[in-house]
Amino acid sequence: MAALPRRIIKETQRLMQEPVPGISAVPDDSNARYFHVIVTGPEDSPFEGGLFKLELFLPEDYPMSAPKVRFITKIYHPNIDRLGRICLDILKDKWSPALQIRTVLLSIQALLSAPNPDDPLANDVAELWKVNESEAIRNAKEWTRRYAMGN
Amino acid sequence: MSLNERVQEELEALEAILMDDISIIYNENGCPELVKSTIFPSTANEVDKQYVCVTLEAKLPDGYPDCEPIVQLRNPRGLDDSTINNLYEAIKEKCSEFLGQPVIFELIEIIRESLTESNLPTCQCAVCLYGFSDGDSFTKTKCFHYFHSYCLANHLITTKRHFQEEQDKLPAWQKSTKGFQASCPVCREHINCDVEELSSAAPPKELENAQNFEVTSDLRHLQERMKQLFTYQKSRGGIIDIEAEENKLLLITESNGDTPPADNTEDPGPSLSNINESVMGDGLLSRGQRYNNCRLNSSGR
Ligand SMILES: [Zn+2]
Ligand SMILES: [Zn+2]
Repeated sequence: MAALPRRIIKETQRLMQEPVPGISAVPDDSNARYFHVIVTGPEDSPFEGGLFKLELFLPEDYPMSAPKVRFITKIYHPNIDRLGRICLDILKDKWSPALQIRTVLLSIQALLSAPNPDDPLANDVAELWKVNESEAIRNAKEWTRRYAMGN
Repeated sequence: MSLNERVQEELEALEAILMDDISIIYNENGCPELVKSTIFPSTANEVDKQYVCVTLEAKLPDGYPDCEPIVQLRNPRGLDDSTINNLYEAIKEKCSEFLGQPVIFELIEIIRESLTESNLPTCQCAVCLYGFSDGDSFTKTKCFHYFHSYCLANHLITTKRHFQEEQDKLPAWQKSTKGFQASCPVCREHINCDVEELSSAAPPKELENAQNFEVTSDLRHLQERMKQLFTYQKSRGGIIDIEAEENKLLLITESNGDTPPADNTEDPGPSLSNINESVMGDGLLSRGQRYNNCRLNSSGR
């Protein structure tokens, strides 16, 4: 296996030294390209109070290709499906090597603050979000309380 | 001479000297309120050798020049934060020194002097996150963003390959007629570069000299916390069970009368293979990716 690129080392160091508020990301012991991530639910969102676990993997040609990210903790959100996959343009065709692990995680946190049911990945959730927003928000809060609490 | 006439005289002089390099914005009463100029180092008009620039925006409050203009430096290119901060300091000094007299031209001059002195990018390459050392081969884009030639070549080659792969997947009528257009990694402005020439450059020096990553106790602590959270949430049924969810998806697809049976080996249809494909492409790791990498690493390779 090729040595870890310097850029990944540098990003990891910076994530440790200057952590982003509400986000922690730490490399796996046995695979430095695999990160364990916790994103805290943003204030004033239905996800407030939740601690969401995600996994992030840097592919062989990172930063030329986007990291692969998904939620591990269950979450009720129109742009995140039952498998935890995230609908976010910068993870696909809008990826640029000038983006970093920290910018990706910040964008995901922003997506929790601003769900976008018009660009859905989880269709049933998006549908409810559009026709009955208050019920959808109630569900999201309920899922957060039930699944995303810390010990 | 009235205050207004003095300002008018200063602005006319600026326009005479700087011509197209300055723009003056007037408010609805016809009074000048904003002066804007993008400043480059003096390189005897060799545009190719200008590696840095910054836009000066000076708001002229009522009473200027008897009170100081409000100065902003915008769109710095090739300059790091400390250079910009030093410039702000120098501007502040100049403004108080010249209180009561026209100062815009003076400001432009000190900025130009400073840019000429540090006419080498002091920022990082956005691709590898390292700086530019003496002898590094680097490229300035039209939009004044800097990359090691080696790093930019990598970006161009990869995005072109990704574009081609996406195109190959599309049916003929959906294919782009335009062909591949390279763009700047930082601002996405279109760029045109000679990839072959760029890719012949050696990797940047700092890349070679960087130190290794060390596992700290902070990191250990965080890892421990992650593990605990996972175990706790799992005990409450809060962790996504990929296998169960994939099986649910399969059931949905299979019960959909429009899909052909999935056991045809020649054309598996949209059910099984496509689901796995999209699962992979959208951020799920295959078991292989997750565990093979671990094995390779722990065996010390
Ligand atoms: Zn670089
Ligand atoms: Zn650019």
